[in-house]
Amino acid sequence: MLYIIFYFQVHQPYRIRDFSVFEVGGSNNYFDEQLNRYIINKVAEKCYLPINSLFKELIESSEGRFKVSYSITGTFLEQVKNYRPEVLESFLELAKTGAVEFINETYYHSLASIFDIEEFLEQVEEHFEFIKNEFGFLPTTFRNTELIYFDKLSDFLLNFPHLKTILIEGADHILKGDLPLYPRLSYNHAHLLLLKHYKLSDDIAFRFSNRGWEDYPLTAEKYVQWIKNLRLVEREGKNLYLNLFMDYETFGEHQWKETGIFDFIRKVIELILEEEDLAFLWPSEVRQTLNYTPKVLFVPNPTSWADTERDLSAWLSNPLQWNAMKTCFDFLKRAKQKGKWDLVSPLKRLTTSDHFYYMCIKYFQDGDVHKYFSPYPSPEHAYRYYINILTDIEEKLEEG
Amino acid sequence: MKILMLTWEYPPFIIGGLGMACYGLFKALSELGLIIYMILPTKEKVFFEIDSPFSADYPAAKTWDKKQLTPLPLKFYHFHYLEPEGGYLTIKEGLVRENISYPKREPQFLPTPQEVLKRIDFILSQENSLLAKVRLYTQNVLEITKNLDFNLIHAHDWLTYPAGLFLKNIKRVPLVTHIHATEFDRALGYGHPLIHEIEYLGLNYAEKVIAVSNYTAEIIKEHYFIPEEKITVIHNAFTAFTEKPFKVKKFKEPVVLFLGRLTPQKGPKIFLEIAKKVLEREGRVRFLIAGTGEMERELMLEAASLGIGTHILFTGFLTRKEVEAALSMSDIVVMPSVSEPFGIVALEAMYFGCALIVSKQSGVSEVIESAYKVDFWDVDKMVEIIIDLLQNPDKIEKLQAESKEEVKKFSWKERAERVLQIYQEFLS
Repeated sequence: MLYIIFYFQVHQPYRIRDFSVFEVGGSNNYFDEQLNRYIINKVAEKCYLPINSLFKELIESSEGRFKVSYSITGTFLEQVKNYRPEVLESFLELAKTGAVEFINETYYHSLASIFDIEEFLEQVEEHFEFIKNEFGFLPTTFRNTELIYFDKLSDFLLNFPHLKTILIEGADHILKGDLPLYPRLSYNHAHLLLLKHYKLSDDIAFRFSNRGWEDYPLTAEKYVQWIKNLRLVEREGKNLYLNLFMDYETFGEHQWKETGIFDFIRKVIELILEEEDLAFLWPSEVRQTLNYTPKVLFVPNPTSWADTERDLSAWLSNPLQWNAMKTCFDFLKRAKQKGKWDLVSPLKRLTTSDHFYYMCIKYFQDGDVHKYFSPYPSPEHAYRYYINILTDIEEKLEEG
Repeated sequence: MKILMLTWEYPPFIIGGLGMACYGLFKALSELGLIIYMILPTKEKVFFEIDSPFSADYPAAKTWDKKQLTPLPLKFYHFHYLEPEGGYLTIKEGLVRENISYPKREPQFLPTPQEVLKRIDFILSQENSLLAKVRLYTQNVLEITKNLDFNLIHAHDWLTYPAGLFLKNIKRVPLVTHIHATEFDRALGYGHPLIHEIEYLGLNYAEKVIAVSNYTAEIIKEHYFIPEEKITVIHNAFTAFTEKPFKVKKFKEPVVLFLGRLTPQKGPKIFLEIAKKVLEREGRVRFLIAGTGEMERELMLEAASLGIGTHILFTGFLTRKEVEAALSMSDIVVMPSVSEPFGIVALEAMYFGCALIVSKQSGVSEVIESAYKVDFWDVDKMVEIIIDLLQNPDKIEKLQAESKEEVKKFSWKERAERVLQIYQEFLS
């Protein structure tokens, strides 16, 4: 049997304002409400609302044989509640079908796992409670920000015994030639690891509308044939798990409606439903269907799903990013020690990985994806605004 | 008396100190009753008329037939500095190759020789985007001035010298070239040979040269062989829009400010070095780097790699109003320029009551008393001074009060009177 596991990342950061050094000591109005409201509404219309309704329809028509899983961040849902409540409604509608699994992650989509373990555990706990309250769901699957994973992370998560499964990137350098279709065990045997099939995931997420790609245009028939071909590698009857992980914004935002992405995904799902030895599955169901003992996977250094390097370099490769992130976590610790809760809240929002992504200069010259996603004219601007905000917070930390 | 002013900058279109110097000088000249026609590097074929302090603040754009343009946003050429190219060709070599003889040194009006004009024409037809803009500007000037009468041409910095040299022949009026900065200052070394050549020709074939400091006068005497009797040194003054300067306490910690373009000439890397050393000994200071420029990323990366969080801040581009806000929240201003023809920032800092450290390699250090003057390379000395000032509140307050008092003696009015004297020498 070949199982197909869809997991979609649903996230929006609180983008910061062009906070100038002259504003230090003023209000703590750090976030660009207008811009954030605009983006939430734009993406809601282009992506969240249409794709949610499409998936709901497919779940209902297939009587629950089509299944999906979502990881929805706290910063996303807070903003949606404020700026476009009907998006939350549509996720609740999806949840009601019973065909949706919700995944646990850090509430703020942060890199706390790298900098501050206490804060990391706090944010995971916060998110767990949040999913429980919003959707009445108790997650048993975990995914770390940007699929960042390393052996120690599995140890940290022992604090949450209900978490059994972790989603990670099927990076070549950790698989060393093995296929991502076989789930693995964490180095301490505590968690089941599901590996993203980056080729087939990125065919949809990145390459779908690329006219320079040799397989353009990608049809649903062709794609499903690729999926079916995957079964050829297995001759001992072991179940295979195809993990298709991507940003939810792929549908309608990164790949515009005009590219035919909605028709494509509908057709793909319908074709898969017709096949007898293909089935959709939740990440949490892998344990029950596994008909062999998985091999252990060692990941000593952090991997992620970002850029070609699949490491931390998208957020932590230059001094701007290091200084900004280190300072933010320092101040967060100080604010907690001093009990300055009015500062803890903005600081937590500032731990979101996107802020550091905008400061990346790795490819900025080539005007690639980092630039596409950044609301600022340059990484220097992103750094300047961020540090100015931290300065303001520092001044307020020292009061009293 | 009508003067044609050729300049590349005028507020609000400011890149460096040139714009503010022109503004201060033109305004003061208009108060003395002069009529100024100003031509800027606009894409539209217009000149600006300044005949009163009010019109200095809001110059009216007019077309060649003196019709006033309805207010419209003027498009300025984007300005950037030329990178030094290839090897350094001395001016002499360049001239010898082109068979240009050295100019005779005569005090009164002398037309620009034909071979010099030919040479300039040749230089401006080089494939280079900046030189092409200068060419365009030169053509613009010649066209706009067709129906314009004036007694004298006053050209500011090399970008406008070609226009001045051509125009003086057509109009048969004297040319005064004003040197605010040389290519030696900007490039910190050999610089671009063609720019050197334009500076050389512009200064030599003008009737009179005004230098903004003795420091600059020495450079043009030594490198461009300008005879001493032809040069008059008139130091800059300053203009501040805040009438009553005040101090704002923005941070709990004292603030040390760098204000200027982020280019090697202004020494921002030296400032960073100072910041690093001061912060190693005295953690409670904030260093503010104000301005933009090609070194911004390099400086930011270096500052961030020191890992001192929020103690080195960058402001990015500042409007004039923000410049004054930055000055009013600073306790100490450091101007570590490697080569600074004048440095108006120093006077502005004094006006806002900041303790001041300037490099000896600056024109402003010739005319001020209440400031520390240090060689730009002497980082340790500047570090000592800053720490000493931070630890002795009395000392810093005294210095701040003194500089605030001293700067009162600088006025554009007095400078304008001296410029007027020069005009009168020719026109009487």
